[in-house]
Order: sequence, then C-alpha cells, then structure tokens
Amino acid sequence: MKKLLSLLLASALAISMLAGCGGSASDGGEKGEVYNVCNLVNGNLGDKSFFDSAKSGLDKLEADGVIKAKTIEMGATDADQPKWLETLYEVSESGEYDLIIVGTYQMPDYLKEVAEKYPDQKYLIYDDTTYVGVCPNVVNMSFRQNDLGYMVGVFAAAMTTSGYDKMNDDAVIGFLGGVDSPVINDFLYGYLAGAQSVNPDVKVDTRYVTNYYDTAYGKELALSMINDKKADIVWGVGGAAGNGGAEAAQETGKAWFIGVDSDQEATFGAELAAITLTSGLKNVGDGICWFFEQWAQGNEFWGQEINLGIAEGGVGIVTDKNFASVPQDVQDAVLAAQEAIVAGEITVPSALTDGGNDAARALRDSMQP
Amino acid sequence: MFEQIITMVFQTDFAFSIFRITAPILFAALAAVVAEKAGVVNIGLEGIMLICGLFGTLFSFWTQSWFIGVLGAIVVGILLALMIGFFALKLHTDIILAGIAVNTMSAGGTIFLLYLFTGERGNTASLTSSNILIPTIKIPGLHQIPILGDIFSGHAVLTYVAFLLVFLIWVLLYKTSIGLQIRAVGENAHAAESVGVSVIKIQYIALAISGILCGMGGAFMSMYYSQSWNTGLVAGRGFIALAAQAMGRGEPVGTMFSSLLFGFAQALRTKVSGVQGVSSNLISAMPYLVTIIGLVLYAASTMKKVKKIKNKDK
Repeated sequence: MKKLLSLLLASALAISMLAGCGGSASDGGEKGEVYNVCNLVNGNLGDKSFFDSAKSGLDKLEADGVIKAKTIEMGATDADQPKWLETLYEVSESGEYDLIIVGTYQMPDYLKEVAEKYPDQKYLIYDDTTYVGVCPNVVNMSFRQNDLGYMVGVFAAAMTTSGYDKMNDDAVIGFLGGVDSPVINDFLYGYLAGAQSVNPDVKVDTRYVTNYYDTAYGKELALSMINDKKADIVWGVGGAAGNGGAEAAQETGKAWFIGVDSDQEATFGAELAAITLTSGLKNVGDGICWFFEQWAQGNEFWGQEINLGIAEGGVGIVTDKNFASVPQDVQDAVLAAQEAIVAGEITVPSALTDGGNDAARALRDSMQP
Repeated sequence: MFEQIITMVFQTDFAFSIFRITAPILFAALAAVVAEKAGVVNIGLEGIMLICGLFGTLFSFWTQSWFIGVLGAIVVGILLALMIGFFALKLHTDIILAGIAVNTMSAGGTIFLLYLFTGERGNTASLTSSNILIPTIKIPGLHQIPILGDIFSGHAVLTYVAFLLVFLIWVLLYKTSIGLQIRAVGENAHAAESVGVSVIKIQYIALAISGILCGMGGAFMSMYYSQSWNTGLVAGRGFIALAAQAMGRGEPVGTMFSSLLFGFAQALRTKVSGVQGVSSNLISAMPYLVTIIGLVLYAASTMKKVKKIKNKDK
C-alpha cells in the first residue's frame, strides 16, 4: 500500500513537472515577425495589478498576431521562491523564446544570474532598475510613477479644499505607503510636488505599513491619519496593505480613497468602490505593447532602461466613474497637469535619481502635519 | 515631538484601538493557553487563523449572513485543530511539525481554495459588503457616558467575545471537571491515565477548543478588522499570540494582560508613526521592544519575590 502510494505520488510529481515545462509554442516563424514570448509570473495571475496587466497586454498582442505568448505562474509564497530561478533556467535553456519577460523588484538577482549564462537570450524585466546596463541582453522597463504621483497629488490637494462632500476645512491629505523604499518614495515625491503645486501650505500625512500585505495595520494607520490629522483623502500605495486606507475611509465615513496600479474602483466591492475617487495607473500591459511596437520598427533597447511615462501609455490616472462627478475645476486641474507633463512644461522630481530618495524624505518630513 | 505623541495618546480613540488590536491576538493566545494546558503545543495558530479567515468570508458571502460566516470559520477551525491532533496523537508525528505543516499548507492552499470557490486569486475585496461584516454594537447606557462610552462601547461583537472568553476559559480550566482533567493531562499524563482519564480524548477536546478560538480569531481578521481576506491577512499575529501565552505564564488572565501589552505597543506605534521625522522601520520594532521590557520587568519582580521568600526562610 505504502509503495503504491509513493509510486503514485512520484509519478504525479513527474507528470506535473513535464506539464510545467513542455507543451510550448514551437514554430514562431510563420508570419516572419511573430515573436515567441515567455511570460514568467513570480506570483499568480488574478492580482488585478501588475501581473494581470502584463498578461492583458500580451493577450492583446497575441490577438493581433504579433506574438505567441506562454505565461507560467510560479507562485508567490516562500515555498514557491526556489522555483523562480529554476523556471528561469529552464525556459532560457529551451532556447524557444525570442523574449522572456519577468517583473517586480523580487526578480533582478535571479535574472542577472541567468542572463549572464545565456547571452543570446533576450530578456525584459518590468518595474525594476537594479541592474540597468549590466547585461547587454536585458532591457529594464520602468514607469514614471513620479509623474503619476504628481497628477494624484494635484487631484488630492485640489479636492481637500474643494468643499466636496466629506471634505473638512483642514488642508491635509494622506499617503499610505507599503515600505519606505525608493520606488514607493518615487510615487510619494510626485504626490508631494503635485500637492504643493496646487496649495503650497498643504500638509501630507505619510505613513508606511512596512510590508505589502497587512491590511489590518494599514487600516490602523489610515484611521490615525483620518482621526488625528484630519486627513480627508488617502492614497494607498502598498498592495493589499494600502487597501486598509479604503477600509478606514469607508468605516469612518469621513474620508475618500485613491487607488494605485490598476483601476481599483473596478475591482473593489460596491461599498469600497463608492469611496474610491480615482486610481493612479501603472499600465505594464500598455508598456509591453509599446515595446513590441518599437521592436517591430527596429528600435531595440537591449542593455538599456526604458522609462515609460504618460505619452507611452505607461502611467495614467482614471478619469471616468467617480472622478467624473468631482468638481469640474478639480478635473480640469488634473488634466492640465497631465498635459503639462506630456509637453515637458513640468519636470516632476524623482526619488530614483542620485540623492532623490533623501530629497523625497526631507520634503516628506517638512510636509508632515 | 513628545507633546504631539501625548496629545494623541490621551484621546479616547487610542484606548479604543488597543482593544481592537488586542482582540485577534487574544483569541489566538487563549487558543494556545488551552492547548498548552493539556500538554499539546498548537503552533499552527497562524495557519488555522488564515484558513478560518478565508472560510469565514466565503460562508458569509454565500449565505449573506455574518453569523453563519463566523460559525463556518469555527467549524473549520475545529476540523483543522483535530487534524493536527490526528497526526500528532493518532499517527504520532511530532506535534510541532504538524503545526508547521498547517502553517505552510495555509499559505499556498488558501489561494487554491479561493480560486476554486470564487475564481479570484488575490484577495476578496470584491466580495465584501457591510452586511456580511461582523457588526459593532453600541452598549446602551454605557454608550452615553462621555470618555468611558467612547472607549468601551462601539466595538465589534467578537471583540467583546474575546474578553468574555478570558473569563470563560478561566472558569472552564479551574471550575469544571473537564478543566481539571485538561490540567491533569498537561501536568502529568501518566498520573491522569492511572486514575482513568482518557488522555487522548482530553487532548482532542483541548485542541478542538483551541480550534474554536482560532476560528473566531480568523473571522475577526477577515470579517471585521481587514474587511477582506488576503494571503498575508494574519501577518504574524498567530506567532505573537504564542509569545503572549508564554509571557502570560499560560494563564488566561495573565495572557490577556500580555496580549493587551502587545496591543498597547502596536497602538502606540501607530500614533508615533504620524510624528514628523520618525522612521517607520525603526518604530516597527516597537511591539517587540515593549515585549522585552515587559519580560525584564516581569523577571525582575519574580526575582524579588523569590528573594523575599528566601529571606523569610532564613
């Protein structure tokens, strides 16, 4: 009985491994310009954020006949992490793909190790710039989240003094970040600058959950912002932890929430969606589409960083649903800021430059109520 | 800076938040107390709470009743605790390993279950509506009293249950025959067996009770505190509870106070984080720092007592 069981388990394991690495798109040269792409997700689809966005971009490209894509979900837990490097090796070794896509801050070390061993394989990593230029076969795709933060900052600062429903007299807005890190502070830096451009005296209460998953603690922090500092609009930038801001806003009935990365209004339940005024978007999918467009035209960026902003569709702000019902002058201010950034009239400071993170922190501390 | 902290701390919502923060830790810590009293170590608290949190959300969503959601979470909690019991008591695996197995299983398994039942893969924020969240109650009479009403009234039903359970668990352990048997089994299983107590049965019962408590803790997290479920929902509270149980010397009342100490430290951290120029990374250590200080004070006071007794003997 025991032997049979172990045999069964072993064969199940073997089959699942085979299923994991086999069965990919094979011949990519039918139409000449069809790229074979492997999309490695170091987590699971269904995050309603980065991974889903990347997948939707690939789906669109596949529907247009530009690529043939295979997406592998590698899982997000500690137990799954060893698989990330292993899978990266496997797909690189296979040599079937014109491009292998990975993403997030968790992958650069693995990618560097593998990319150096397979110099002929091309890679794209999105939302990370740790090793820009180190490997000549890797392109780093980053997003101007500071630009996006600027627009959200303009929106929040204009709203807090607009006299709109639930808005109190204090010009205080909130920022609920995941971790005090350069990328999160890049969002923050833009947010602070945007808010200041509308109202030089505005105060921004900035708190960090110190992780990306503890929604309950995020809620505690947001409650403190709303009750102690009279913040009436909170931008949550920290994955599930940031969603605590929405819950605090809804529970107190004294504040509004702004989402991040994807259109959170569309993914929340009805009650949380109702208090979410807009979301700052980081469109990984659109960025990938833009990348293939460029590639097809012969513009190649291997070994470089491509920094996508509003013009490339890399970042944006949600302007329909609840946003459409806020005062017209607030809407106009946001759209004006967007145009000014695209036209290059406004240069938004970034925390990702040398000394940028320290400058962002200094500004943050000076604006803390 | 200190002025700012003090004005924030001397507000009713600070005291109010201590109870809210303490409640989930207290549930899990009481679960650890009961299991430990029967001589079984349940370190699967974290995992059980995570799984129960998911099922609480799912049951409440399916039935549109928060009460059935909590009941469902409790039933799942009992089943999981009994599963640990089955592996440890019946199949004689190491109970620590069985607990670790539950914790590990919970991380990946819950995502699988979530996808299986709802098609979602990240969190349940899209399923939440306020009618399926655990309601808060304003206690008539108490609610009208200034200050006291603001602190003690308006909590979630389960917050009151958590503190009521401290008393109930104390009664169970010290005033009932089953409690006596639980303690006897934990103190000396062979002695208990020699007078006809079924050790395994008592340990199963103790584990089941700890499962009930974890179930409520998980439901509190997903159906009230964070209003939705995600895979990081419990965020280490199950492990903090183990420390709270140890710090409370395994007694219900002592464990309540050590849980409250954690709650106080976390509430303080929340307030201090709003002060200009404070590093969030530095103050994230605050709950643990307070614990160490608490342990030192506790050890110092026991040492004094011991010295006193020794001096008397002379």
